[in-house]
Amino acid sequence: MLALETADLHHRFADHDVLRGVSLQVPHGSIYGFLGANGAGKTTTLRLLLGLLKTQRGEIRILGKPFTKDVLRQVGSLIESPSLYDHLTAAENLRLLQIVHQCPPTRIREVLELVGLAHTGSKRAKQFSLGMRQRLAIAAALLHKPSLIVLDEPTNGLDPEGIIEIRNLLIELNRSHGCTILVSSHLLPEIERVVTHLGILGKGRLLFQGTIDELRRQEVPTVRIATNDNATAVGTIAQQGIAACVDEGEIVLPALTNERIAALNRQLTARNLDVYEIRTVRNDLETIFLNLVRE
Amino acid sequence: MFIHVLQSEWLKRKRSFASTLVLGGSLFTPVVVIIARLIQHKALPKLYAMDAFWPQLWRSCWESVAVFFLPLGAILATSLIAQLEFKSNAWKQVHTLPVSAASIFLAKLAVVLVMLLQYLLLFTAGIYAAGMIPYALVPGVPYPKGSFLDLPLWRVNALYFVDTLPIVAAQYLMALRFHNFLIPIGVGFMAWIGALAAVSSKVAAWWPYSYTILHHLKGAQPRWPAFGFFLLLTAAGYVLFATRREKG
Repeated sequence: MLALETADLHHRFADHDVLRGVSLQVPHGSIYGFLGANGAGKTTTLRLLLGLLKTQRGEIRILGKPFTKDVLRQVGSLIESPSLYDHLTAAENLRLLQIVHQCPPTRIREVLELVGLAHTGSKRAKQFSLGMRQRLAIAAALLHKPSLIVLDEPTNGLDPEGIIEIRNLLIELNRSHGCTILVSSHLLPEIERVVTHLGILGKGRLLFQGTIDELRRQEVPTVRIATNDNATAVGTIAQQGIAACVDEGEIVLPALTNERIAALNRQLTARNLDVYEIRTVRNDLETIFLNLVRE
Repeated sequence: MFIHVLQSEWLKRKRSFASTLVLGGSLFTPVVVIIARLIQHKALPKLYAMDAFWPQLWRSCWESVAVFFLPLGAILATSLIAQLEFKSNAWKQVHTLPVSAASIFLAKLAVVLVMLLQYLLLFTAGIYAAGMIPYALVPGVPYPKGSFLDLPLWRVNALYFVDTLPIVAAQYLMALRFHNFLIPIGVGFMAWIGALAAVSSKVAAWWPYSYTILHHLKGAQPRWPAFGFFLLLTAAGYVLFATRREKG
């Protein structure tokens, strides 16, 4: 079952196509990482999902229903920077929302404890650090026990410790509270350890969607060779019918069998070339992500 | 559901500059009157013995409020209340609540109107205090003649409330529309200066910012233009608010 689904979502600002047919499928109970470089269209997608932008083309279904204001009862969100009233305390900021959502007042204390802000008392939000503000905004998103939480770059501007805290909080929410979480980021390492599913957006198109394992299966190993004369070596390799290029002082060619690598090595040494190193490189997730986005 | 949104909006004004403005603006004139009378305390026995003590105090207090503090207070407080969301980067949070645009719009407007009532009530209480405090503090000052309650308290306050409505609606429309709070406040100030400049001309009767000034200077005037402007500007404000393509 899908907690969130979009079909052929398009969006245009003035004369610029921001989204070009995005079809997201966020499984129920997943932590879905929504990745893309800055300007790829992530925030626009999330704003459309929450009704902050009017849908121009395409369909949105949240928890199995078409988007209406009523669906938002089951959705918590944090879009870009936190929405906090600086002249109010953490509890007062949450009280505003508790009244509208009509959830029990005890929830305020519960979520403040969950995000580690129960001790802030009469301290006003303007005195909070960036990390505390981010955590309070997450508490606001959780207050009404939503089934789906949408977080847009929740670790933006946080120090490494803050990033780890938020990461652990997301895992806790997903495991203990059963929330489906859609979290956007432009950095794969930041969410790689947390997410169960990934959607990679590039220039308004969904370039990949699936589990982390499925993304790993997309990797293409390469062979890298270091010699004393790469230009001559590339020519020799090309004579064997293998496409090669030079990257960062090394020759890069597609994955080969061990026998072909050994044969190639013999060819190179027969031409009096010094071969310093031959190795097979398996791309890490970051490289796969970057390759996808660059394409 | 509207009542919950209203409660939530009311809480937002707690400790805000807009609510301080209501308190300070409403009590400023009475406090100045009290200080002035305490300084010139020798003239008080004669003043307090006058038959028209309360009507005179009432009118002199209203002068600065009707021309200056009420319109300017409405311009500032309305703009600041609506600007709270821009300042707090919170429109996106407000628009992702499961409530209609109409509820949000009307709840915020209701908060401004309740604050306007608060202002008028505090100001009226302040006038009473401006009469009684010098009597209590200065020996030999007689108890004021007549009764404060004989003044047309409710009628005058109700009429000034209606006179201020077009200013509130115009400021509300602009404050919801523009991220930069200097725009509604700047335009509001200019419109108020325009009202002062036009007060002796016929144009003033059709200028939304002029009704409190006209009320004080000319007394009786029809209220339907003020009420009409309020309804028109509120409707226009709602249409602009509800049809924004990008919210928050």
